[in-house]
Amino acid sequence: MLRYTWKRILTGIISLFVLVTVTFFLVRIIPGSPFQRGGVSGQVVEAIEQEYGLDEPLLAQYIHYIRNILGGDLGISYQDPAANVADVIARAWPVTASVGITALAVSIIAGTAAGILRSVSRRRPVREFISAAGMMSAGIPSFAAAVLLLLVFSVKLKWLPASGLLTPAHYILPVTALSLYPAAMVSRLVGNTLDAELKKDYVVFARAKGLGEKRIIFTHALKNAYLPVLNYIGPASASLLTGSFVIESIFTIPGLGREFVGSITNRDYTLILGLTVFMGAVVILVNLVTDLLCAWLDPRTRRAYRGEGA
Amino acid sequence: MSVLEVNNLSVSYPAESGASEIVKNISIKVESGEIVGLVGESGSGKSTAMLAVMGLAGDGAYVQYDKITVGGKAPVPGKNVAMIFQDSLSCLNPSVKIGRQIRETVRARRRCSRKEAVARSEELLDLVGIRNPSLRMRQYPFELSGGMRQRVVLAIALACEPELIIADEPTTALDALVQAQILLLLRRIVRETKTSLILVSHDMSVTASMCSRLYVMHGGRIEESGTAEEIFYSPVREYTKQLLKDAKGGNFHRKRRTGRADCRELPGEDVLLKMETMTKVFSEGEGIRGFSLEIRRKEILALVGESGSGKTTAARILTGMLKEDEGTLYYHGHAMDRRRRMASLAGRVQMVFQDPYASLNPCLTVRETLTEALAAVQRNREMQDTLPEKIDKMLELTGISQDEADRYPRELSGGQRQRIGIARALIVEPELIVCDEALSSLDATTREQILELIFRLQRKIGFACLFISHDMHIVRRISDRIGVMYGGRIVETGPTEQICSDPWHPYTKQLIEAVPEPDPVRAARIKAVPAKDGTGVCTTGCPLAGRCGYALECCGREVPGRYSFDRREISCFLYSGKHGGRRSSDYRMTSQI
Repeated sequence: MLRYTWKRILTGIISLFVLVTVTFFLVRIIPGSPFQRGGVSGQVVEAIEQEYGLDEPLLAQYIHYIRNILGGDLGISYQDPAANVADVIARAWPVTASVGITALAVSIIAGTAAGILRSVSRRRPVREFISAAGMMSAGIPSFAAAVLLLLVFSVKLKWLPASGLLTPAHYILPVTALSLYPAAMVSRLVGNTLDAELKKDYVVFARAKGLGEKRIIFTHALKNAYLPVLNYIGPASASLLTGSFVIESIFTIPGLGREFVGSITNRDYTLILGLTVFMGAVVILVNLVTDLLCAWLDPRTRRAYRGEGA
Repeated sequence: MSVLEVNNLSVSYPAESGASEIVKNISIKVESGEIVGLVGESGSGKSTAMLAVMGLAGDGAYVQYDKITVGGKAPVPGKNVAMIFQDSLSCLNPSVKIGRQIRETVRARRRCSRKEAVARSEELLDLVGIRNPSLRMRQYPFELSGGMRQRVVLAIALACEPELIIADEPTTALDALVQAQILLLLRRIVRETKTSLILVSHDMSVTASMCSRLYVMHGGRIEESGTAEEIFYSPVREYTKQLLKDAKGGNFHRKRRTGRADCRELPGEDVLLKMETMTKVFSEGEGIRGFSLEIRRKEILALVGESGSGKTTAARILTGMLKEDEGTLYYHGHAMDRRRRMASLAGRVQMVFQDPYASLNPCLTVRETLTEALAAVQRNREMQDTLPEKIDKMLELTGISQDEADRYPRELSGGQRQRIGIARALIVEPELIVCDEALSSLDATTREQILELIFRLQRKIGFACLFISHDMHIVRRISDRIGVMYGGRIVETGPTEQICSDPWHPYTKQLIEAVPEPDPVRAARIKAVPAKDGTGVCTTGCPLAGRCGYALECCGREVPGRYSFDRREISCFLYSGKHGGRRSSDYRMTSQI
């Protein structure tokens, strides 16, 4: 288990390095300079660029940047020289994470419940309704859903606030918009795998030994049905934790996504790179945790790992 | 009073072309403490009928009956009736510990505390012959052997405290020794707990060893019923007679013996292939150790032994699919390492696999498969021209029609697919074919046909055959010689007749005695060596040392040599010169046990 984990961390670091390299050069391809703006003369821009070392050859800049990153320094935002990139992340990420984690919890709980209901309900209309609702939530793009929710619940009905994140009520609309798609996917996965599990011999045997239907579903079938679902939840939670550009822009949430969009329009090279490195690290870490969790949940692999460790 | 009464039970499944009736108007009665058999080939509706009795036929099934009662009341699964199934691995939840799976059954049956449930579970595991129950309760199903899992399933059924247990093919997935253990266990449980038992099986021999009364099912109907003696000694219906004939091997057995006389060449004494002190040990400790075997030209050599004894490993090393740790393989007297085996034996040694469907390319028609196999070994142009001719000839030999030759594997039945598997192996005119459990996935009737085919072709073409099987009935009928394997070693080899009628090695004796015969009087005598927990294969000495009733002091310390007597070879200290003392030159060895 330990060796496997180390191997995964190492490959994670390598992919992170590739990610930084590619982003570094891609960002430089964007036409324009961070300091080009209306009303600023070319000479001034050149002077500032010189100060930030942007006149140096690209390769030298790259080596310089990598050296800084290895030293743990993500650099200073070009746009706001007072702000360290690390500070920007420290400010924006908790906001994104709080929305993301809530959305994750909602999609897992709602999705699992809907999936179970779809699989075991004896009433056909219930099953059909859940299928249709799932299909629709998966089909509507999140920006459309967000705008629609905004229009109905805050503009027309005025039940919920439209922007910011001050009170729990502020969370409802963005979280709903964010969790629609993952919830639909979880529900579909749970429904399908549970359908397959309930046809297996051990379920027939559990019925033959006189267990109640509830017990069969929750303690027997669901446990086996959940492994493939976890494999989806891992990557999905990575994307929720790194923030959605669209949702954060629509609901004016001061999170990572909005910072990212802002940094690109401003050509704030260091901020773009810093955010990319951070998000990449989060994605890789979350995927690693999911893989380890899956392996741990399956008694076969768990015993195998234990044997290897001993 | 009867424990189970079923009157006029019918089960049908709605299908597009009208409902298909799987079970047609059957009536069954089971008395208290009785073991009743329900036999018939696969697809005769046995299992469906039993599931319907349990009330578990599924949502799609349409069940009709006049009366189904267990002990005078309606059947309630887990209360007055319990069921055990064929595949113990799939009917235990893979991710829930054994202990919990028993405990929850105990608690579903009667109100009790967790502690009482644990105590009761341990008691039940003890009852079904599992030693160290508290350890087993902490394990997962995949950590137990097949026989032990089937015991656990039985313990769960007993936890329901039922008046009737329905056992659906409880021993079909197990090898002969474990089968005998489980059958004897079922018999003991019925006697001790006064439960009644319905034994559903396709195997006449298994029912013969257990049941006092039998129902023969065919095409959803009860074809014939009566006491075991009536069914086995004076069957009335043609179908029952046919079943018994198949079970006894019909006249195939005799045909085989006389058939040998017509054969131009008797199995040669010259050795085709020889493996010496072959060793390949996997990380789990399984594999083969010091494995030595000779295959002679034009003979059928059967390799038997329980699952995990290394039969398949030996076959894979022989064909070059696996690399040995050490040991030598001689082909026509030339030593060959794995590289040379792969290169020069490709056209001369061929395999027939257990699952014909998985081993055929689904995208190629039968003809294409055969062409590809042939083209792989015959590369020059002249030979290429004769391909279609050769293929037609092989199709005719293996009984595949021209029409079937242009179809894909998925469009053919299991039996036809195995014919193709055989045709594919034989088309390159090999000197040796290896059949690894080639008949295990087929039902009884098809098995009979394929067995006959292999036998007929072998006589006609004269290839040597290494026939791997765990089924002693088949082996006894098809092979010239038998090699018995245990714990990765050959423990005894010799002519089939001698091995089967007069086993010398303690393990061979266990194996032969465990096989029931389709005859109630003889089958009742099946014997089983009690399963010993924890004493697996001994690796320092004779592999059997841990579970052999005749073990000597030296058995656990050193590996017995191979002692030859006439045409038999045996690896057991009982037959060593040291044990027997000095023998005169004309001494004739007999069984020492």
